[in-house]
Amino acid sequence: MKPSLPSQLAKFMPVGSLVPPQGLEDYAVDGVMPQAAALASTREDTAEVVRWAAGHGVSVFPRGGGTQVALGNVPAEVGLALDVSGQDRLLDYQPDDLTVTVEGGISLGQLQRELAPGGKFLPLEAPMAEISTIGGILAANGTGPLRFSYGQPRDWLIGISVVGGDGVETKAGGKVVKNVTGYDLNKLYAGSLGTLGIIVEATFKLAPIPSEITTVLASFPGLPEGIKAGSGLTGTEFAPNGVQVVDGQAAHRLKLGEGQAMLEQAGVGGALAIACIAGRSGGVKRKMDETTRLLTESGAQDVAILQESESQSVLEGLTDLGWNSDTKPYLGIRVTAPPSAVATVAAKCLETSSQGMVPGVLADPGYGLVQLFWWAGPVSEWVEDSLILETLLRARRIARESGGHAVVEHCPVSLKKKIDVWGGQPEAIEIMRRLKRKFDPSGILNPGRFVGGI
Amino acid sequence: MPAEQFIQQLKAIVGDAHVVSHPEDLVVFEYDGSVAKAMPETVVIPESTEQVRQVLSLAYEEGISVVGRGSGTGLSGGAVAATGGLQIAFTRMNRILDLDRENRTATVEPGVINLDLDNYARKSGLRYAPDPSSQRACTMGGNVAENAGGPHCLAYGTTTNHVLGLEVALEDGSMVNLGSPSGRPVNATPGYDLRGAFLGSEGTFGVATRVVVRLLPLPERVKTFLGIFPDVDSACTSVSAIIGHGIVPAALELIDSVIIKAVQNAADLGYPDNAGAVLLVEVEGLAEEVEDIGAQVEAALWETGAFQVRAAESAQERAALWAGRKGALGALGSLAPNYYLADGVVPRTQLAEAHRQVARISQEYGMPVANVSHAGDGNLHPCLLFDEREPGALRRVAEAGAEVMKACVDLGGALTGEHGVGLEKKEQMPLVFSNDDLNAMLRVREAFAPLNRLNPEKVFPGGFAYQPAAHRVGAGMYI
Repeated sequence: MKPSLPSQLAKFMPVGSLVPPQGLEDYAVDGVMPQAAALASTREDTAEVVRWAAGHGVSVFPRGGGTQVALGNVPAEVGLALDVSGQDRLLDYQPDDLTVTVEGGISLGQLQRELAPGGKFLPLEAPMAEISTIGGILAANGTGPLRFSYGQPRDWLIGISVVGGDGVETKAGGKVVKNVTGYDLNKLYAGSLGTLGIIVEATFKLAPIPSEITTVLASFPGLPEGIKAGSGLTGTEFAPNGVQVVDGQAAHRLKLGEGQAMLEQAGVGGALAIACIAGRSGGVKRKMDETTRLLTESGAQDVAILQESESQSVLEGLTDLGWNSDTKPYLGIRVTAPPSAVATVAAKCLETSSQGMVPGVLADPGYGLVQLFWWAGPVSEWVEDSLILETLLRARRIARESGGHAVVEHCPVSLKKKIDVWGGQPEAIEIMRRLKRKFDPSGILNPGRFVGGI
Repeated sequence: MPAEQFIQQLKAIVGDAHVVSHPEDLVVFEYDGSVAKAMPETVVIPESTEQVRQVLSLAYEEGISVVGRGSGTGLSGGAVAATGGLQIAFTRMNRILDLDRENRTATVEPGVINLDLDNYARKSGLRYAPDPSSQRACTMGGNVAENAGGPHCLAYGTTTNHVLGLEVALEDGSMVNLGSPSGRPVNATPGYDLRGAFLGSEGTFGVATRVVVRLLPLPERVKTFLGIFPDVDSACTSVSAIIGHGIVPAALELIDSVIIKAVQNAADLGYPDNAGAVLLVEVEGLAEEVEDIGAQVEAALWETGAFQVRAAESAQERAALWAGRKGALGALGSLAPNYYLADGVVPRTQLAEAHRQVARISQEYGMPVANVSHAGDGNLHPCLLFDEREPGALRRVAEAGAEVMKACVDLGGALTGEHGVGLEKKEQMPLVFSNDDLNAMLRVREAFAPLNRLNPEKVFPGGFAYQPAAHRVGAGMYI
């Protein structure tokens, strides 16, 4: 009989690095239990175990904080869950160069704390920042409420080291902010969901910490009005750093305090525009005044200004929405669309929703994003799979018609097995498949989870 | 297929007038802005995506390599047809296809000149941010291939941060959209970020036939400061002080005393005789921000040893302050018959040391150097001055250039900040990357262009026998 995976790993992995059987459940992917789970506490260990796995045809599921582990299609089987969150050192911080180099397992929260004394920060947002690791955030390429001004994680990444599917560590980019030495593989690894390599080191550009943060809340009678007003802010030179528009359901879960009261005043179907402004100078006040003026002119019923600490907690709430235990939905879809189509997409998704399946909505009109949440509750008890499927397909069609696409972020596993969460194959799938074969010839890195079966 | 038949087929695709095959006509296509030269066998000038597709299919069937060419302003040999073959010039594909005010994007053909796009966008209160110094001449297709930079990339990032989507022809003539489908500007698409990988791939992955770019609103106010320092060292300290204080200006440029003398020779810009270095700092944004940050910049300039500070806000006055910087290379003609333009990049805090190393190399080689730097990015452009008629001068300037690159790498930098590897720096790639690293890069090229028929002999070491040739000082040179 073939020896079990844990006993094979035990032969060469450091003592104590294997997760005991009772701990395996924590490493399940979409309900699929791994055959083994191990902690790789150094990059060398990571390379060694991947090399071994490639030689033995064992699939490896890299894992940081585990916050985004549900992103992707349901895997057929999970060989080794490889926890790299122990590689959490800050390796080099040069505040005057505005650069930092870290290991992949450091949490975003920890990193920001270590950067703060030097007056700099990394302008990216991720749900559950205290748990989310930099490697995981890059792999998932997630964004937060300030994505309109921050862009994506890939925009701040200037250097990277990964362990490829052959167990060899390679690097690309460097530690300088402007660099065209060789191909820009930073972009390729960011958003690759661990299917091309395991991120063991990353170097980022940084930005100065803004000295002021403020948030303007404005209530509107309906979501379309809110989105239209929010959209009107984003084309100007005094645009806020990010604008989110939420409906009552989403607002309710954000625990907005004052905003909640404003929304109740706005009545059923009301919406709230949340404009966040951060900066280091007199510009913040001006932007706040202009934002307030524009929102009022576009029909806001009520406008309120939040102070810094409240702003921070609203931003955190918006970032975590759908991901923390309080707000995890039964079903969640992320529609990326041209900014000009956001209002239409949101309206159509609401209009066409079936009885008992009305989603909560968060729209980002500046960046071009609509998040739809169906929160678990009494609804999930009786809603049938076919009804959910119909809802998904409808959202996908609406997204496509607008020139965008829809990704299913949250979904009951039973249903997830029947769908492709990425919504079909991207146009350039052939190139993507060739890349996958070259970077991971044995097909062991996170197999079956990404687009087109990659 | 005999060469003549191949040419006939090309003519059938693009028309007789748009195929160049006589050696005397091909001469203008044999170089770019770098020191490398090689003659393509044929040049074809298509006017549509469909023609590009057909040309690539034909070349693929015939086993002929293809190199794209915009305006030929590149500085690393990117557009040089290293192995001869077919060159596609994009001069006729120069239409701005769409400007979408609502989504703040533009869709352009690859032959559109960078500045033409910017000027067009400005009519709608928008702008295209990346501004390579060659922006009056360089094309968007070339900008995409080289991931072009420019002074204002300090605040706004390089081309890669501004391209949302690409329509690309692959080596076999098949077409594919990367990132946003054309005309539909979305910020993210499922799957690998092939658009990001394509940016800066130096024409080796495919040929862009359509580019969707992000546009930004015009700033409300712009203010330019010019600080005159006794030496390069203190100017570099000033750069660190400004960035270290958390100020990221729109542009932060440095010129040294050699450049200052050269531009003074050409026209009196009022730089004092004892000026050792000049810093140019541009601040833009809302009036309040410009006021606030401008005051901090001005204070930092004085505090770090500037003995004269000038400021300007009107377009005309600002242009006067920029005149020294923009005229830098053109003015070098008064100092030497030739120059070799290097493109090093170091962490910003190493900028002073990098300039010291450049001075050392210049002395060791007995070759005067003039420095013009995108200081805020740590990107320096030493110009090594020489006379190609002196025996051995070419070889020595190439050696000195390689030493500059090595010095930058040793300071934690890289081989090229914005000019690309091309032919010029490919042999130095092992200074930065291991064989494993290079192999990883090669895999990406193989995924896009399995037969390596597009712009062969670039980026990776080996192969092409690279012979540096002299570069004449004069018009058409930009950094």
